[in-house]
Amino acid sequence: MFKLGLRSVLAHRLRFVLCTLAVTLGVAFAGGAMVFTDSLSTALKKNFAVSTAEVTVTPTSPIETGTDRPATFQIDLVDRIAAVPGVAAAVPQLLVSNVQILGPDGKLLENYGLTSFGAAWPRDPGAAPFKLVDGTAPWGGDQLALDESTASRAGYHVGDQVRIVTPARAVTATLTATTTPAQAGAAAGAPLVSFDGATAQLLLLGKPGWTSITVSLKPGSDANTVSKAIGDTIGDSVTVRTAKQVTTDGEHDLDNTFGGFGTVLLLFAGLALFVGGFLIVNTFAMVVAQRSRELAMLRAIGASRGQITGTVLAESVIIGFVGATLGLLVGIGVAAGIRFGYELLDLRIPTASLQVTPTTIIASYVIGIGVTVAAAAPAARRAGKLPPVAAMRDDVHVPERSLLVRLLIGAFMLLMAVLFFGIGVSTGGLPGAVLITLGTGTAVLAIVMLNPIISRYVVRALMYPFGRKAPVTLGRRNAERNPRRTSATASALMISVGLISGLLVIGASVKASIDKSMVDALGTAEILITNDGTPSFSTEVGDRTAKIPGVQAVQRVRQQSGEVGRANVQVTGVSDGTLAGPVTTTFDAGSAAALDAGQALIPRNLAKTLKLTVGKPFDLKTTSGTHRLTVGGIVAPNRQLNAVVVSLPTYATLGGSPSDNLLYVEVAKGNQVAQVRTGILDQLRKDYPTLQVRDQEAYAAVAREPVNGVLIAVGFLLAMAILIALLGIVNTLALGVVERTREIGLLRAIGMDRPQLSRMLRVESIAITLLGAFLGLAIGVAFATAVQSAMVDDGLAVRDIPVLQLVIAVVLAVVFGVLAAVWPSRRAARLDVLQAIASE
Amino acid sequence: MSVGDVAVRAAGVWKRYGGGLTQVDALAGVSADFGKGRFTAIMGPSGSGKSTLLHCLAGLDKPSDGKVFLGDVDLTTLPEKQLTHLRRDRIGFVFQAFNLVPTLSALENITLPLDLAGRKPDQDWMTTVVDTIGLMDRLRHKPSELSGGQQQRVACARALVSRPDVVFADEPTGNLDSRSSGDVLDFLHRSVREFNQTVVMVTHDPTAASYADRVLFLADGQLQSELVDPTAETVLDAMKQLETQQDTADELAG
Ligand SMILES: Nc1ncnc2c1ncn2[C@@H]1O[C@H](COP(=O)(O)OP(=O)(O)O)[C@@H](O)[C@H]1O
Ligand SMILES: [Mg+2]
Repeated sequence: MFKLGLRSVLAHRLRFVLCTLAVTLGVAFAGGAMVFTDSLSTALKKNFAVSTAEVTVTPTSPIETGTDRPATFQIDLVDRIAAVPGVAAAVPQLLVSNVQILGPDGKLLENYGLTSFGAAWPRDPGAAPFKLVDGTAPWGGDQLALDESTASRAGYHVGDQVRIVTPARAVTATLTATTTPAQAGAAAGAPLVSFDGATAQLLLLGKPGWTSITVSLKPGSDANTVSKAIGDTIGDSVTVRTAKQVTTDGEHDLDNTFGGFGTVLLLFAGLALFVGGFLIVNTFAMVVAQRSRELAMLRAIGASRGQITGTVLAESVIIGFVGATLGLLVGIGVAAGIRFGYELLDLRIPTASLQVTPTTIIASYVIGIGVTVAAAAPAARRAGKLPPVAAMRDDVHVPERSLLVRLLIGAFMLLMAVLFFGIGVSTGGLPGAVLITLGTGTAVLAIVMLNPIISRYVVRALMYPFGRKAPVTLGRRNAERNPRRTSATASALMISVGLISGLLVIGASVKASIDKSMVDALGTAEILITNDGTPSFSTEVGDRTAKIPGVQAVQRVRQQSGEVGRANVQVTGVSDGTLAGPVTTTFDAGSAAALDAGQALIPRNLAKTLKLTVGKPFDLKTTSGTHRLTVGGIVAPNRQLNAVVVSLPTYATLGGSPSDNLLYVEVAKGNQVAQVRTGILDQLRKDYPTLQVRDQEAYAAVAREPVNGVLIAVGFLLAMAILIALLGIVNTLALGVVERTREIGLLRAIGMDRPQLSRMLRVESIAITLLGAFLGLAIGVAFATAVQSAMVDDGLAVRDIPVLQLVIAVVLAVVFGVLAAVWPSRRAARLDVLQAIASE
Repeated sequence: MSVGDVAVRAAGVWKRYGGGLTQVDALAGVSADFGKGRFTAIMGPSGSGKSTLLHCLAGLDKPSDGKVFLGDVDLTTLPEKQLTHLRRDRIGFVFQAFNLVPTLSALENITLPLDLAGRKPDQDWMTTVVDTIGLMDRLRHKPSELSGGQQQRVACARALVSRPDVVFADEPTGNLDSRSSGDVLDFLHRSVREFNQTVVMVTHDPTAASYADRVLFLADGQLQSELVDPTAETVLDAMKQLETQQDTADELAG
């Protein structure tokens, strides 16, 4: 039976090329994702293996912290740990990711997404996370060291003046040394600036403190015993980890970081395979229909049902195998390409050779063959059901599942989808959005089920404007004549178009919501000052801004993360509760005056979930611990989503660092905003080259930028899915041409010319494309508007349906439909009329 | 017969397939005139070149040598596009089977050549043609809902609807039982008698041939003989005679 399968594949080579291509694209995504993440994490883990001090102690933070604002401790802790039995030496370390390195041109150095770190020069070289390469250790406020890779990238040499910006201030210092990472850790491979300990504390933390302690052991001591002893002595306020635990944790972090990227690639692999599956379903349905006489004949001469099903499945295994092999190779190529790209940028990301693990290989084949076989299974099952007498009959009908069953299942699923939508919208928030997404998935499946039944009517309605000329009628009828095939082809497109239109609507709504909240957020302020690269900057910026002519008032805003209940919140400190800025002007209860009384303003949704009212106390966790605050006001949500707003003095008691994140500048009456802005820039740009001084519109544009980036990236990947859907249309048209060779011959014989023949196929293609685009558009827009309704209070206040973009998307779909018909039309036009008529 | 009375003319038509040892002359110098308003049958053993001749006459195939004229148009030099339009507007064709487009109704199939040309059907003529095939009540049906005989009659109606210069039919009754055959042949006969159509029909059935005004006998790609005002008996006799001639020729050659 396998031999018969192989013969069939070879006999219908062309038809299988498209199937194989679909599998290849899907597996390439999946394989590439796995190879890339494996290679990167292997390389980084190799560095972890050479890790670190025998025992590491870090202060325990009540909340998750980033490397830009780690929890700190005071020096007395070092002495207490040094006194623990078995400890030979305890060395304090300081590592924070909040510096910016400027190039010799005074501009921020491009780091290609890597975070820059600042560190204290190690007191004990043995326990240091980095080693000296060249020069002497920095000492004092006007000396610093840089990692070798960054220094060479920027073109700095020992002895040069280097400019950096820290949250405390902008610094120009002499480069006295270059370093190389001695061991991995958060900073491995990243740009690293180091200072002597006192300078590091001043510049990086703005207060005394350290971020970790590395402990070395006395000979004969056991790391586990010592770390337990430290834990017992100091208590819960510190986390003690052995080298092995640090390595495991680090690996875990890496897996999380790169796992995210891998998951995205895998999602698209899934999408590509799902869409490609429709193409395979069609091809096999067609092969079985065409070969039904031959298969029935095999049955008549004694082949069992299982054997017939087997030959068809054998074909699918062959295709899956070939597709998976090619896909794996392409995937490895893609991973190699990404790695090569990093090397071109001269980033010292530790590289290992490409990791093609057995898991990757096995998974690629399982995915490739699995999807193909699954897609071919319905056709194979039907082939097995062919009655042997079919061999003797003229008109063979391959048995198909009844449409009634489809109708019932489809209708039921549609009902479920509507239910999900309803509950989702009324629930609201992220859970609501999740429910709506589930509902959308159900709706997609329902439409896939119902499509063969409804497609005829939808196609008729959509094709109405194309008139009733003979080639148009013929093309449209061809699209209607095999509803299953047409709808499977259209469904593939529907999914891609659905995702794209949903994305367009959500993207536009996010942007519109940002614009609106910008206006809300800026309030009476005209100018906003932020910093590029790191979130916070020196308080000196605010001091100097306030003195610039034309500046009426400056609102300082400081931000850190915190938790209330189990919700992550932003903790915002403001210098002046009366100036609008981040404090929304819409109060549900209370007033801004409560800030001066040390009370907090909380957002509406937080009040709702925690049932808080004005005057009630609540607990806020920050890096420095748990703090009890009183609700002084409840405000409508604005751009400072989920922000708990307090005054600056209160903010300081919550462990926040004394540097600003945002400055809202109010311009005095009678002054031009542009002039004041230029004034601020003239004053501050020299010392703080990374400051951004923006007016309302400019700031809104910046806030929208990441949305654009995400849209473009996702759009690009979705284009792949569309490509596969288009392959499906080409496939369906080409299958149709082969199947209807005789009919085409007849049409040509009675006077259809080649342009009319092309037109007929073009119309069929457009009919399928429009069907897919229309259904996709309906689902996508329904999904997006429902999500917007559910998330009105969660950042999607405004609904914006970008009609023009959606129209362009549909027009593009039609253009692609026209393109998809080009090749099948050529094939059809090349058919010899007489041979076509004579063909079986 | 004067030139003005000739609908189609074959002048020394050769059709050669393959080359070298496998070379076959499907047609070896066929010359014949087909008069306007006449019903001509072409007969001959299987493989004698009947279909090839018909295809050459209808502009579906190009002769290797010789000329084919439809009226005064030389089909052998006409470019593909003009030839297609000429087939559409001036020639009707009925094949042995698979004549209809399955997605179109009987009526839509009949008007298809006109629709392709973007012309409106002449309503009186339409009614006449449809009346003659006697399928008034079946016009909305799809081909799959019609019997073989009904399908062939629809095909004939389609061939006639554009009032072509000639209708070519290649064994139009080859797949039909005798009653359905009778219907189809009656229809072709009437279209010649009553509407002055020109019909050229390939058949190997003497009864079918007896509907024609004239029968041409073809063997080995050459015209052998011709019979005017045939009956089933005279056709049968002529066929027998040809067979014996053929056998003797084969023996002599062997
Ligand atoms: N496309 C072709 N290639 C090669 N030989 C052909 C082709 N078409 C027809 N022939 C040959 O030409 C001869 C005449 O064929 P045809 O006109 O179909 O005969 P008839 O219709 O009288 O049965 C036959 O010998 C046939 O084998
Ligand atoms: Mg023939």
